[in-house]
Amino acid sequence: MGTHTDNSTLAALVDGLSVSFGPRQVLENLHLSLAKGRLHVLLGRSGAGKTTLLRAFNRLNECFPGCRTQGSLRLNLHQQWVDIYGDDLSVIELRRRVGMVFQTPNLLPTGVAKNISLPLKLVLGLGKNEIPARVEWALQQVHLWEEVRHRLAAPAATLSGGQQQRLCLARVLALEPMLLLLDEPTASLDFRASRKIEELLLTLKDRYPILAVSHSLSQARRLGDEVLVMKDGRLARTLNRRDFQDKTMLEDLLAEVF
Amino acid sequence: MHRCLSFGFTWFGWLAALVTMGAVGIFVGFLGIKGLAALNLRLFFGEASPWQVLLGTQPAVGGLWPACLGTLYLVLLSSLLAIPLGIASGIYLARYASPGPKRLFGFAVDLLAGIPSILMGLFGFALILLLRKTILPQANTGLLLSAGCLALLVLPYLILTTQTALEGLSPTLHVAGLSLGFTPWQNLVHILLPAASRGILSGVILAVGRAAEDTAVILLTGVVANAGAPQSLTDKFTALPFHIYYLAAEHRTADELAQAFGAALMLLLLTASLYALAYGLHAGIAKKWEHTPIIRP
Repeated sequence: MGTHTDNSTLAALVDGLSVSFGPRQVLENLHLSLAKGRLHVLLGRSGAGKTTLLRAFNRLNECFPGCRTQGSLRLNLHQQWVDIYGDDLSVIELRRRVGMVFQTPNLLPTGVAKNISLPLKLVLGLGKNEIPARVEWALQQVHLWEEVRHRLAAPAATLSGGQQQRLCLARVLALEPMLLLLDEPTASLDFRASRKIEELLLTLKDRYPILAVSHSLSQARRLGDEVLVMKDGRLARTLNRRDFQDKTMLEDLLAEVF
Repeated sequence: MHRCLSFGFTWFGWLAALVTMGAVGIFVGFLGIKGLAALNLRLFFGEASPWQVLLGTQPAVGGLWPACLGTLYLVLLSSLLAIPLGIASGIYLARYASPGPKRLFGFAVDLLAGIPSILMGLFGFALILLLRKTILPQANTGLLLSAGCLALLVLPYLILTTQTALEGLSPTLHVAGLSLGFTPWQNLVHILLPAASRGILSGVILAVGRAAEDTAVILLTGVVANAGAPQSLTDKFTALPFHIYYLAAEHRTADELAQAFGAALMLLLLTASLYALAYGLHAGIAKKWEHTPIIRP
């Protein structure tokens, strides 16, 4: 994209991205960019293609049958632009650098600490000496360390929903990602736990560019530096913080999206 | 009316459970009483001295010992052949096969599951005849052939249980590892297989039980009455189920019939210990998998 004068502040560039599953076109010719240090919220009704767009960033769509992706999606990895659908980066390498948190906590059916240590061992190849410190660091990042430090070996399923989701986030942070993808991370949580995750995300956005799916307009207003509104597989609007103050614009948006 | 039906069904459920438990209890009790009475050193080693037999310096003529060893070898050997193959096939069907091959392969497995064991025995017998006429004139029925045919017999249990266990895992678990950057192989070995291990274990137990009790296959592929303990893979052998059948059908004295009950109890105990071994192995694997390194704060 030669049109951008300064690409170094960007984290990702999407150009003409289309994704289809069999005969069903889910995303159609999307263009967008993600900036570093900002939290981007994907907003839209269900079926608009939010999750598919999210999964295009870590090529997880390919795990589902009949997927076809066209266009380019480039990531800024240490000031080097890499087309993730090209040959420069393997899928495995990509997924290790782009962390994803799912709608419902999808923990591995093992212990609390092992949920973090197993990926560290298998994906990063860390040794026994480095893993404990990294596990503790990751748990502290999501303010979970004090809550679980005495039951690290307990089954992860014994944690509360909010704790589980924070553990998923810690697991991703431990791998030191370049980009965070969050698929409605608070969808399965109650109000209090949701707020806790939201506060956490606001502190994390300085270090990791974040792309988060949400179906709640109020959450998008609380979190988003930039809100990408999707409709029928297309990008309908891009709004920034200023636009949120405008009441009529918001009402238009509500009518348009929901 | 609805309540009546529900009440009736609950009682029917209880009754069915009680009848099953009762039947198993009576069966095991009967076998225990009849078999325990016959259980002594003479039953195992005949007229020979136990130490001499265990050291291998003397054959145990007329005792159960060779049959126990024969069954043990048979089960271990056929498990060795069938378990890796069956689990691998199940993984292929659940994770890698595209729809066309999957349907074909699935049909073949169903077909294999439906083949009566006597046909499997006939197949082994015919195979030896073919080998003798063509490339291996000295080929003969024996332990290895029996184990091979038994492996083929129990293969469908292993394939189907592995496939079902893997396909029963939640789809989110499938992508959990992949989204973290696991390779498909790491995902399979470190996440999917451990999570499906309980189902796979049930297939292994079914297979072991079936291999231990089957008589029809070995009848045509190498079992002989009064064989000694097998010394090599091609030796003729004797096995507990065949020994029981032989004693029960051909007994001339009450003592010989009592021996058959003793042998039946032994078979039950042997199978039970193989199950225990399978459970123990599984528990060990599960523990290793769930174990978290202790981190000192």
